[in-house]
Amino acid sequence: MAEAANEGSTLAEAVPGPGASAGDAAQRIRPPKIHPLLRYVLVRIGISILLIWGVTIVTFLLTNLVPTDPVAAILGDRAAADPEIVAQTRERLGLDQPLIVQYFTYLGNLLQGDLGVSNQTRTPVLDSIGQVFPASIELGIGAILISVILGLLLGLLSALKQNTILDHAIRTLSLIGISAPTFWIATVGYFVFFFKLRVVPGAGRLDPWITPPPKVTGLYTVDALLSGQMATFTNALGHLVLPSCVLALFTIGLLTRFSRSSVLDVIRLDYVTAAKAKGLPTGTVVFKYIFRGALVPIITVVGLAFGSLLSGAVLTETVFAWNGIGQYAFRGATTLDLPVIMGVGLVIGIVYILVNFIVDLIYGFVDPRVRVR
Amino acid sequence: MRRLARATVAICSTLALTLGLAACSGGDDDQAGGAGDTLVAETAFSLTTIDPHRQFEFTGSTIDNAVYQTALEFEDGDLTKPTDGLCSFEMSDGDKTMTLKLKQKDAKFSNGDPVTVDDIVFSFERLQGLKGNPSFFLDGVDVKKVDDETIELKSEKPNPALPYILPNSSIGIVNSKVVKENKGTTDEKDEAEQFLNENSQGSGPYQIDTYDPDSQVVLTANENYNGPAPKYKRIVLRNVSAETQLTDIQSGQAQVAYDLNSDQANSIDDSMAQKTSLPSTRSLYIFNNMDDKVSDITTNEDFRMAVTSAIDYEKILELSGDGAQRMAGLVPNEFNGAVPKDQAPERDLDKTKELLEKSGYDGEEIPFHYSSDQSVNGVDLAQLAETLQAQLKEAGINLALKPAPSATQLDGFRAGEQPMGIGTWGADFPDPSNYNVFVPGGSVADRVNWDKDASPEITKLAEAAEKADEDKRGDAYAKMYKSLSDTGVWIPLVQPVDTIVVGNSVKKYVSNADTSFDFAQAE
Repeated sequence: MAEAANEGSTLAEAVPGPGASAGDAAQRIRPPKIHPLLRYVLVRIGISILLIWGVTIVTFLLTNLVPTDPVAAILGDRAAADPEIVAQTRERLGLDQPLIVQYFTYLGNLLQGDLGVSNQTRTPVLDSIGQVFPASIELGIGAILISVILGLLLGLLSALKQNTILDHAIRTLSLIGISAPTFWIATVGYFVFFFKLRVVPGAGRLDPWITPPPKVTGLYTVDALLSGQMATFTNALGHLVLPSCVLALFTIGLLTRFSRSSVLDVIRLDYVTAAKAKGLPTGTVVFKYIFRGALVPIITVVGLAFGSLLSGAVLTETVFAWNGIGQYAFRGATTLDLPVIMGVGLVIGIVYILVNFIVDLIYGFVDPRVRVR
Repeated sequence: MRRLARATVAICSTLALTLGLAACSGGDDDQAGGAGDTLVAETAFSLTTIDPHRQFEFTGSTIDNAVYQTALEFEDGDLTKPTDGLCSFEMSDGDKTMTLKLKQKDAKFSNGDPVTVDDIVFSFERLQGLKGNPSFFLDGVDVKKVDDETIELKSEKPNPALPYILPNSSIGIVNSKVVKENKGTTDEKDEAEQFLNENSQGSGPYQIDTYDPDSQVVLTANENYNGPAPKYKRIVLRNVSAETQLTDIQSGQAQVAYDLNSDQANSIDDSMAQKTSLPSTRSLYIFNNMDDKVSDITTNEDFRMAVTSAIDYEKILELSGDGAQRMAGLVPNEFNGAVPKDQAPERDLDKTKELLEKSGYDGEEIPFHYSSDQSVNGVDLAQLAETLQAQLKEAGINLALKPAPSATQLDGFRAGEQPMGIGTWGADFPDPSNYNVFVPGGSVADRVNWDKDASPEITKLAEAAEKADEDKRGDAYAKMYKSLSDTGVWIPLVQPVDTIVVGNSVKKYVSNADTSFDFAQAE
């Protein structure tokens, strides 16, 4: 009864009373048991929070180390020659404060969800990221779906048909996908498929004469569906195809090569040979034994690729006039818009940390050894 | 194994078919070229705001030209002829006083309110009080309402440039009542910028429908506009790179492309688009620092003149495309006060050799700064710098190229730390007095440490030009700017060309140096 009453009690409450045995005491001060999977998740959440704090320090310091005065980028030639205007601008931006004060102001604002205001457009950075990030998410999801389906299948096929013509062909194609410059592929793709063949619509997320759907998620395809605008949905989907394919080319190449090598590592293991010897159907051997065994390193690459796709693709976004976070970051960098640079840096850092966190969780589910360790 | 191969082929085919169907469902050829009354214009955005009294970039100016009327205008876009806009004007008191009389009494803002003298006074005072980039336009000007039809602008010094300044879209007239209701003031406490970005308060042919400084701005016709109703009821101005503009204009996806360089424009078949080339209002030049501590060679006049005679200007013209012009001074050729271009220097390598010997230059490398990410009317500054490096090397002058992003390069230039490099200047208003900043002691001259007392002769010529009568002003300024070029501190390189490409679905349009492309007059 006493032990039962002490379950989940504090350490002070667990101090043994007179007459209790040493063994009982040891049992009582032991911290409550946590399920290994829950402990695994909690540890990773803690690590993620520390990492995000680290990202704020790194983005803030690196941004402020740029040996250029952001006021120069804001003011025109005439205004920059007026010391009064320069001083007022510096004060308005808080640049007249010591760096440490600026950092803690930044951190304090950050904790209240305030990423600052763009020096150039004077719009809140969080609002702007809220506008451009869904565009990158939509493009990233499109690209990763195409990449995962094609990359994994081609990689698996290539490994199973090792050293055949098919294997060589797939490896050559994947090499082209990895090495072809995205900007070139995007420009040529746009010229051929839009201008010459007219099989895809032009640049942008929608045709210019179509009004975007009411914003719910910011993903035009989803918002169009939610508002029942089927014409807008098909238009948005059409606009998504070519940029997604262009962006997916590199990732397809990467995933094909990675999954091929990962499958080849597993295919030679004893348990696969044993499964084959038992006469199990090929499909079962391939998907239940080989593919599942090869999945852990592939998940890592998919996670990293997805993080990279979500972080924006400046060149693809530029060619297709896709107003995503890549273009936003590029403009912020070229105009020395410090709040924008720090805001984007932080968001991208969080995206990577989140993706890695999710990948870690998937490891835990896919491979029980991971969560036990 | 074969089953897997078949499955892979099936999945790939299904995916390709799905993507193909999705793509085709998005493309609609019937809509190409805009949907009836929509005109699509494309430019690579330089847009931070469309609050007229704060904006100072090309994209903002393009939008505000369509949204706001101004007190004065340029006659048919001719930058040498300021004429009546919302007001008529008269200069008096030795160009110290300008009297404006409200002329367009039927002008109305987009909400139907009439345009009044109070709106004009508020707009002028707000521009001054915000202390923003365009505030200098009305520096030293006292604005006073005389009565319900008259405004008086008094300047401290003779201000013959004022008629050339007032047509600027940064001095657009806003609805003072509504702007004040939305935290608009005539000092730095003003908080109406966000409101003016999303709700235009002008009396021009268009009003703002949606504003996204990163992606696109949509304008719709202002039903209360007192001029002829525009044919295109909706204008979509999109942020698109020059390469994509080239494809879009040929395909009919867009009808106006602003950023194509001369080569790109010439690559378009005449059956697809019309091209208009206008002399740019920007000047490209080489600067030489006048501080011994920064460079002891660029302060040497013989060296600077050696550089001047070492440049192959014809090659620079070729690089800048058809329609680019030589410059003998910093003022664009079409402006009053420009130095006639036949006085521009020519390449003379014998003269260069002689001057280099006199200068004592021993072949040392001179850091040469420029913005590596900037293109001025299609002239890529990186390419221009490399060309100059090669040309000067032929003459025995060694440049060490120092490329940097615009913001970084500009910062170093403004700090007066760069010995030599490429500078650009875009006219704020089409008057020679706008180029006074290059005179010793001027704000740009400060960046090359060229002090006020450095050249009494030029200072005297500048004072004479400032005081000259209207009929002698042009010659006086031309004389002064020629003497400026003769020092070699500024070496004018080229006046580029501004190319506008318009799709053939637009049957009639007006394109001029003032507005580039007039949305309201396109048919």
